[in-house]
Amino acid sequence: MTHLRKTLGISRRTFLAGASAGLAAPAILTRTRAYAANPVIKIGHVSPRTGPLAGFAEADDYVLAGIRQALAGGIENNGKTYQVEIISKDSQSNPNRAAEVASELLLGEEVDLIVAASTPDTTNPVSDQAELNEVPCITTDCPWQPYFFGRNGDPQTGFDYTYHFFWGLEDVINAFLDLWQQSGVAKTVGGLFPNDADGNAWGDEIHGFPPALAGEGYALTDPGRYQPLTDDFSSQISAFKEAGCDIITGNMIPPDFATFWAQSAQQGFTPKVVTIGKALLFPSVIESLGDRGDGLTSEIWWSPNHPFSSSLTGVSSKELADGYMAASGRPWTQPIGFKHALFEVATDVIRRSADLEDPNAILEAIQKTKLSTVVGPVDWSNGPVRNVTKTPLVAGQWQKGPNGFDLVITANRSAPFIATTGELKLLS
Amino acid sequence: MTTSAHAYSISRSSTASRVAAVAGVLVLIVLVSAPLWAGRADMRLLSEIFLYLSLACLWNLLAGYAGLVSVGQQAFVGFGGYMLFALAIFAGLSPLAAIPLAGLLGAVIAVPVALLIFRLRGAYFAIGTWVIAEVFRLSFAQVSALGGGSGTSLPVAIVRDMASSRSMREATTYWLALAMAVIVLAVIYLLLRSRNGLALTAIRDSELASESFGIDIWRNKFVVYVLTAGLTAMTGALIFLQKLRISPDAAFSVNDWTAFVIFIVVIGGIGTLEGPIIGVIVFFLLRETLSDLGTVYLLILGVVAIAVMLKAPKGLWGTLKERTGLELFPLARRVVKKKS
Repeated sequence: MTHLRKTLGISRRTFLAGASAGLAAPAILTRTRAYAANPVIKIGHVSPRTGPLAGFAEADDYVLAGIRQALAGGIENNGKTYQVEIISKDSQSNPNRAAEVASELLLGEEVDLIVAASTPDTTNPVSDQAELNEVPCITTDCPWQPYFFGRNGDPQTGFDYTYHFFWGLEDVINAFLDLWQQSGVAKTVGGLFPNDADGNAWGDEIHGFPPALAGEGYALTDPGRYQPLTDDFSSQISAFKEAGCDIITGNMIPPDFATFWAQSAQQGFTPKVVTIGKALLFPSVIESLGDRGDGLTSEIWWSPNHPFSSSLTGVSSKELADGYMAASGRPWTQPIGFKHALFEVATDVIRRSADLEDPNAILEAIQKTKLSTVVGPVDWSNGPVRNVTKTPLVAGQWQKGPNGFDLVITANRSAPFIATTGELKLLS
Repeated sequence: MTTSAHAYSISRSSTASRVAAVAGVLVLIVLVSAPLWAGRADMRLLSEIFLYLSLACLWNLLAGYAGLVSVGQQAFVGFGGYMLFALAIFAGLSPLAAIPLAGLLGAVIAVPVALLIFRLRGAYFAIGTWVIAEVFRLSFAQVSALGGGSGTSLPVAIVRDMASSRSMREATTYWLALAMAVIVLAVIYLLLRSRNGLALTAIRDSELASESFGIDIWRNKFVVYVLTAGLTAMTGALIFLQKLRISPDAAFSVNDWTAFVIFIVVIGGIGTLEGPIIGVIVFFLLRETLSDLGTVYLLILGVVAIAVMLKAPKGLWGTLKERTGLELFPLARRVVKKKS
């Protein structure tokens, strides 16, 4: 019915303007909410399918197809079988659009649960809309500090309706420190932090890298926040050269890292270890760097070697990644595991909820989650703040092998149950 | 003595405009009562349509009448949004009070901006406005109290305090958006019917000729620019009251707040008051039916824009008006025969 009214609302304006009736395309009339004998549970899903963040969502079709297949028979809850409808919307990598499609899902589709993934630009606007409209929301694939503090979260009170699972800055710092200690190079670090949600959190004087590195005896050269998509890193490079930095770290988007790395080569700056968050996640980015991609290091949230399997389909990490590679002909990427896990958690919550008609019962089920997913355990009772639980994080290196680049796990101090698969090599 | 001098008079209204006025009032009544008959999602969509309609009408006034082709109106949308957040979070103002204040501040900041960029002409002016918008974006990205480059969320408590219940809050937000569109349309309509409007219409048709008639072009354009900036900032504040979250990239997005708006005006018909209304309907019909197609949707928008520019360079309404002389808002003066 809502669609019908929507059309009417528009066509009155059409009448006012005296426009031709041809404009009032009846296409929007086609879908009305079905009240079938089998009750339906609706899950809304927001993801950056197009735009600069599209790499995070490139496996969406594959993951969703697997989930839909697993849920084809419905979910049993309190002896009743519910059909599950997953409605996926594209945020176009734009926080404005993310807020808009989230509100369409919440108000228009009246979803019972909303999920979202991939960077603060997706998770935060969706969570804000869910919080205001009092619909349970689960998000992932964004470090928890930009998610929690970026939304003005107060650790004392937290949020009521929005929950998040991923790792945090303290984990990435630990993983990076572990990796650098193995390398045995001098403890001089150059930091590259952009003025964006991730960069500000990573470079934060209280919660970020600077205090943690100082505590471990590393000298950090931080030339200040740069504007994303800058085309000149000369001043940063000369500052790093002057300080004799052997290690470069930071959180960058792929085009910025490519610029920095090309200019470093031109200006003769040769650090021994380069460990960058976010920019070096995707094989396509590493391949685009050519031989200069060999030996770069990054955080690893998920890999085919992680010793976990899906609670929903039973497939192992390796089977999930192999399935994607066989279906798409493309290399596996880290967000695949988390996208699958997001729906594992959603399914588990629906299964356990005491009353699916009551948002507060769904919320209670989220709070009581104790699930072993394909990315590790998800349990909100032991998070750093309310609303957040953490998954394990390791670090590793892109190494060129006979079959192209391979992401090798080299540092696992904080999660020893994830085996290392190789040794760190220095860049120069 | 001929009687013909008495048999004709100058009139602005026509049958079409009188019918449109009655229909407009009826539609307005229906829209005001929307909280009674529309669902929450419909109200939300209508609010977004009203806000885009406001932006489109304002850009049309700027580019279509005053000849100020700005591609930097996102500067004021973002500024208004940020002022709402700043006034609500730091000064503790209710959003209802912060919105008009944001508009006022937008007009104030537009004065020095206008003095600066009015030195530029044509394409340089367009680029100049974009540069100003980028300066705004980079400046707000440095304000760490408002989240810097990361952006910040409007505390849910502030939004909840706007009204006693959820449905009342949603109705209030809806009425605000509707009121914004009505105010913008009314202000532009009254402006165009005034002395200044006559000057603007003359400037639209020929800048050189109007200057030779003694019209102060600079002053007219300045008034329009500042007025538009203030109303655009108010619209921006309302937009981000709905979005709940602001960040420099979202607030000063050239795509969302200028490219789509130009699309709407060009499709509908630039330099007519009816054009943006048609354009906004076409834009939302396309978006609501096609946006799930991802990149294909943006390709279709581009194709539609190209097709309209080639086949109907004056836009849908401009073409219709040219063929039929139809005008819903009585702005033009015409000679009519008296009935006696």
